[in-house]
Amino acid sequence: MTVFTIEDVRKTFTNGEVTEEILKGVNLSLKEGEVTALVGASGSGKSTLLTIAAGLQPASDGQILFEGTNLTEMNAEQVRKIRANKFGFVFQFAHLVPFLTVEEQLMLMLDVAGTKMKKREQKKEIDEILSLVDMGHRKKAYPSSLSGGEKQRIAIARAIIHKPKVLFADEPTASLDSKRSKDVMALIRELTKTLNITTLLVTHDEEMLAYADRIIKMSDGQVA
Amino acid sequence: MNIAWKEMKKNKARFLILGSIVFLVSLLTLIISGLANGLSQDNAALIKDLPDGQFYMTKDSDQTYTLSKIDSNTQDKVLDKEKDAAAFSIQMGFVNDSADKQQSVVFVTSTESELFENVKKGEIVLDNSMKDKGIKVGDVLTNNQYSGEFTVKGFVDQKKFSHAPVAFINMEDYKEMYRTNEMQMLFVPGEDSPQAIDGLQAFSKKEFLDTIPSYSAEQMSLNMIVWFLVVISGMLFAIFFYMMNVQKIGLYGILKAIGVKTSALFKMMWTQMLFITVIALSLSIALSQVFNKFAPEGMPFHLTPDTTVKLSIVFLIIGFIGATLSGMQIKKVEPLQAIQQGEV
Repeated sequence: MTVFTIEDVRKTFTNGEVTEEILKGVNLSLKEGEVTALVGASGSGKSTLLTIAAGLQPASDGQILFEGTNLTEMNAEQVRKIRANKFGFVFQFAHLVPFLTVEEQLMLMLDVAGTKMKKREQKKEIDEILSLVDMGHRKKAYPSSLSGGEKQRIAIARAIIHKPKVLFADEPTASLDSKRSKDVMALIRELTKTLNITTLLVTHDEEMLAYADRIIKMSDGQVA
Repeated sequence: MNIAWKEMKKNKARFLILGSIVFLVSLLTLIISGLANGLSQDNAALIKDLPDGQFYMTKDSDQTYTLSKIDSNTQDKVLDKEKDAAAFSIQMGFVNDSADKQQSVVFVTSTESELFENVKKGEIVLDNSMKDKGIKVGDVLTNNQYSGEFTVKGFVDQKKFSHAPVAFINMEDYKEMYRTNEMQMLFVPGEDSPQAIDGLQAFSKKEFLDTIPSYSAEQMSLNMIVWFLVVISGMLFAIFFYMMNVQKIGLYGILKAIGVKTSALFKMMWTQMLFITVIALSLSIALSQVFNKFAPEGMPFHLTPDTTVKLSIVFLIIGFIGATLSGMQIKKVEPLQAIQQGEV
């Protein structure tokens, strides 16, 4: 089932007198329970497309339809609410909050998403997610004591703890070595299937494409 | 979850440094303010302790009370009309104690009134500080302008003028010493607005205090120091929070990206500012009160609860403004920019 549709999305940047079109009318649809990988050379517009789809920057033109609503017509607060409740994010770096323990990172996400869980329920949920990403033993650890792979696992746990509909992952393995990259990708794929999430992934690492259900190649701001 | 508290708990040193700076600046402000109040009391407690009302002196005295001479007709008219009013005079002078040692005092005399000490001819009532000079009730004091002798009848608390202890004397003795039959000023208590009295100029208490040459200059300098310190502490808040916010731009961006409201980030900063300020202020208030109690003898230090509360409120407001101004960056943070900057 299609849950996310990108229709004729364009993005232009103006720098002084120079106007550059980064996205030149992209059309794309994402299906539930599928990992869709966007690939392409540097500057092809894949990361720009992901951040526009995720509501992190506006499109210059076009529509982004999610659950029957057009994200491009929403105000900043409405987009923030969608980001908090319905989307999950994994970036190249884990971007964990340095002064929160692993457990607190996840608790914060549950609060932000507005889940009306009691503390006990939150803890139960956190335990379940941490066991999914195999990090239950580091619940009380601060990010400074975690390895790169562990941080990225926690970032993934944070991205899915509030049961988002769509997971956006922008180069989630770029800062990891080959073994850890495969572990993280296997985890993203497994969670997409288990939790029936729609995942949009940007990567330039061809080895990671093995974990995607669909591969979309981008070139010069268009789907090739 | 209270992330403001979690951050302070994890980064104790950073917040301790900010707290220490606020503590030191607020303590210094309270101490200087206590000294300003103390000096103000030392300079004009005689006038400051009077109730609110209007002071009158002659127009031709050019706002200098020592040059003012109120004629007896005008004085009688006002005193007949205003039962609580008093005519009074203030003159710098000295008395010789039993060991013939000169002691500087300010002679004050008045018509019969509850506002001033009423003393009989040949008697003198002194400010308490004269006890420290070895003067006791019953002692005999002299003055080279006075033919008789003054017998010390008693002491009064905190009656000072121009940093000298006040000596209340009878009006007849005053007239003999200063060879005048006229009083310098009239004081009508409880009057909000002045009456028009021929040849007299009216002053509120504050206006009258400002005519005392040393008082206004001294208070202006000290108040300027106090307000400079308040402004400096506000700037410290702004600079410190600005620096902390610059370091946390990436973090704020990520928090915004995952859906944290900008208002929640402001709340986080305000909570931290409030926590630090309240703790730092409580400590500085406690220490300044200890200083108030154990200030060295003779040091004019007077820190009232009223001044302390006012300054504390000003500190909180200034801290809030400083932190909020620096927090404007938070509003401008773009999640995307933070993500692209790399690891927090």
